[in-house]
Amino acid sequence: MKRGETSLLPLEDAREAALFFVVGALCFLAALAALTAKSTYGAARAWTAEVEGEYTVSLSDAAPQDAQAATLLVQSIEGVSGARLLSEAEISALLEPTFGSRGLPADLPVPRLIAITAAPEAGDIGRALTAALETAGYTAAVDSHSAWAGDVRRMLGTARMVAFAIVALLASTAIAVIAFATHAALLARRDIVDVLHIAGARDRFIARLFERRFWLLGLRAGTVGALVALASVALLIAIARSSGNRSGLLPELTLDFPDLAILVITPILAGLASRIAAGVTVMRALKSVM
Amino acid sequence: MTQLRPDIFDEAAVRLDAVTLRYDASGEILSGIDLALKPGSFSFLTGASGAGKSSLLKLLYLARPPSTGEVSLFGRPTSRLTRDQLSAMRRRIGVVFQEFRLLGHLTAYENAALPLRVMGRKEAQYRTDVEELLAWVGLGERMHKRPETLSGGEQQRVAIARAVVTQPDLLIADEPTGNVDPEMGARLMRLFIELNKRLGTTVIIASHDLGLIRQVEAPVYHLANGLLARTTPEPGKTARRRGDGIEIKAEEE
Repeated sequence: MKRGETSLLPLEDAREAALFFVVGALCFLAALAALTAKSTYGAARAWTAEVEGEYTVSLSDAAPQDAQAATLLVQSIEGVSGARLLSEAEISALLEPTFGSRGLPADLPVPRLIAITAAPEAGDIGRALTAALETAGYTAAVDSHSAWAGDVRRMLGTARMVAFAIVALLASTAIAVIAFATHAALLARRDIVDVLHIAGARDRFIARLFERRFWLLGLRAGTVGALVALASVALLIAIARSSGNRSGLLPELTLDFPDLAILVITPILAGLASRIAAGVTVMRALKSVM
Repeated sequence: MTQLRPDIFDEAAVRLDAVTLRYDASGEILSGIDLALKPGSFSFLTGASGAGKSSLLKLLYLARPPSTGEVSLFGRPTSRLTRDQLSAMRRRIGVVFQEFRLLGHLTAYENAALPLRVMGRKEAQYRTDVEELLAWVGLGERMHKRPETLSGGEQQRVAIARAVVTQPDLLIADEPTGNVDPEMGARLMRLFIELNKRLGTTVIIASHDLGLIRQVEAPVYHLANGLLARTTPEPGKTARRRGDGIEIKAEEE
């Protein structure tokens, strides 16, 4: 006696292998986009966190002792947790990428720079710094790096939106492909559907056969796609690091919760999308017969 | 046009009222057919190839609706049924297709048990019944073979087993003995007669086989030019099944 019931839908290896590949590839791209979006978000936070709360005061035409006095003044301002006058060597090092190691011409005035760290709870102290220095008679410019941080945030926000748009586009493409494939499968299996229909199978019964088949296909293809995406990202980062690329601009790759969530959610979404597309397609097709 | 007698038709297992059928823009396949078959009746349907026998049977097993007119089964007009009610009604009908329509990836046993699976029965509940039925139609040794490895006659017997496995109220068979030898043909006819007598199954068999038709002494309906007519059975051989309740509009016109 044969044990276990054979599925009422036969396996169609060639057709399903092709569909598996397409859904898997779409899931790979979607997971890649999602991982990129997530990494970009993380990187954006790391980059902007570095400069947030940092201010630089540049003093033009200030003698060394005036600069020292200005530093002391700044240290006394409320909300400042640290202020340090940069040495000539430090300033030269900052200018080196632009002007080369030979330094500036001696007659070119170089401003004195004070690096300031604000207390975490202080909020924006840029205005307070400017006001205090002006009152004391210094010609000073205060840079809060907000323009740069804002640019970074805007750029990363755009990158994130693009990544999400790609994820959405890939997901809808996958659904359309699956709906198309279900329709093809239904046409190819019209004979079986007819026999089941005439034997008194309800629409839901027939739809469930296709839903189960496509749920499993989506789940498996999604798992493979997501794993390959993760492996690809890991490989790319490993290659970038081993070739001496400074890691500052590279997102950190750690298998943290959001990564795991993407890995788990991609196959489930693919499975659900496949299942729903298959169910809707079959129910709609059955409505056209008596 | 003859008025149908309400007293007969109200109790009919099968009733067609002015049924026409046409596919697309082509002419009518069936033209204004009236028919009523009592529960527990046994009838034959004959007609030349292309006369519309299979189309008429499709209406009866609810594979498609008529273009106009009404098909009623078991006293209920089918045009007013919901999809689920239609499914429930189909479960009361067993169909033997001329081309068998077995599912190629299932064994003979699984094919025969298909309607039971559709009804949601558990295999443990029906296994013995299906095995006995298949043994009875001579497939006891081959019930776990797939259709492709079975002969035409064996496939036909699997198709018949599938049609009768639920002990349906209405059995519709399209050339059910076309691929078997006369001995097996007679045996399968005995199965149909037994279902008809013991369980009161209404049986309609479309067949060309006059020898088979003569064996049973049942009313014969002949389909030609889209019209259905009851042919007069041979004298002296119709006594047993007199009064099966039919009215043939086509004959009157």
